[in-house]
Amino acid sequence: MALNSADPSAPDITCREVAEWTSAYLDAHQDDAHKVRMALHLAACAGCEAYVNQIASVRDTLGRLPGPILDPARRDRLRQQFSVQRSKPWSTP
Amino acid sequence: MNADTTTFTGTLSRSTSLPLVGQARLSKTCGLTEADDLLLVKLKKGDEGAFDQLVDRHHGALIRMALGYVADREVAEEVVQDTWMAVVEGLNRFEGRSSLRTWIFGIMIHKAKDRGVREKRHTTFSAFESYDDDNDETIDPSRFQQSGEWAGHWAFPPQPWDDRTPEKLLASQQAVDAMNQAIEALPANLKEVLILRDVEGVEAKEACEILKITESNLYVRLHRARERVRRAVENYLQGPALTV
Repeated sequence: MALNSADPSAPDITCREVAEWTSAYLDAHQDDAHKVRMALHLAACAGCEAYVNQIASVRDTLGRLPGPILDPARRDRLRQQFSVQRSKPWSTP
Repeated sequence: MNADTTTFTGTLSRSTSLPLVGQARLSKTCGLTEADDLLLVKLKKGDEGAFDQLVDRHHGALIRMALGYVADREVAEEVVQDTWMAVVEGLNRFEGRSSLRTWIFGIMIHKAKDRGVREKRHTTFSAFESYDDDNDETIDPSRFQQSGEWAGHWAFPPQPWDDRTPEKLLASQQAVDAMNQAIEALPANLKEVLILRDVEGVEAKEACEILKITESNLYVRLHRARERVRRAVENYLQGPALTV
């Protein structure tokens, strides 16, 4: 499958390179020339499009994963410590 | 590709049009956003609600990151508890040169690494010694054509996840478990980047400040970490990718 490139004389980027650069691409950490080459490749390559979408899904899901929660006993201890600390005379602004 | 970090930094440069995410900083010298500033005032006044908010916001990520440096959950909980105590005690001295978050995570990393070193003397725990070898390939090389006209192109491309949006993944306990296991299995230097950037949502620049690494380094590590989680989800959804 022939792939177009922004610069006809530049070698086409490979799927391997696209995969490596995916996070930088998704986070807008690339210059325009690279962005264009990525976009052109993705438009023509279903495998890479799937890959980029999967990395994006992972990124988005990670931000919403339920995480470890503070157990109530520890939370109470912290609150107490906070109150004690903030009530010390030298700590008032 | 070998020495990907070299290729990576040579060919990529920072986009000049990064969107401003989050609130503007008050000044170049001041690390605090307006929201931070307000929160800090409340905290110094002893507002317990504000403190609860602060803890809720960061506790999960602190625990996950601490697990990268110490042997087990119990120790991680202690480290994070110590961190919060230090935050409470240090509020008066906090000058706002960095964000609250940078400060809090900095304290935790210091305590966790310290504890990790002490633990090492007494246990055979080796996970925190397992730093990712930069020479390892990010993506399984057997997924790509090794030679011929299509060298570097997919030999076994990923199959679309179709409607496996974040919502669907989160609704599946098995998918969630697979992701959590993948995160926990990450070596420390990959885990810390993934937690900060993707789990906690810290901007790249601040993450670099907290971890004391360059942005190029950040993106290499971030991608390695994301790929491992992606592979875990792929394995769960489809079974391990077939490679001959």
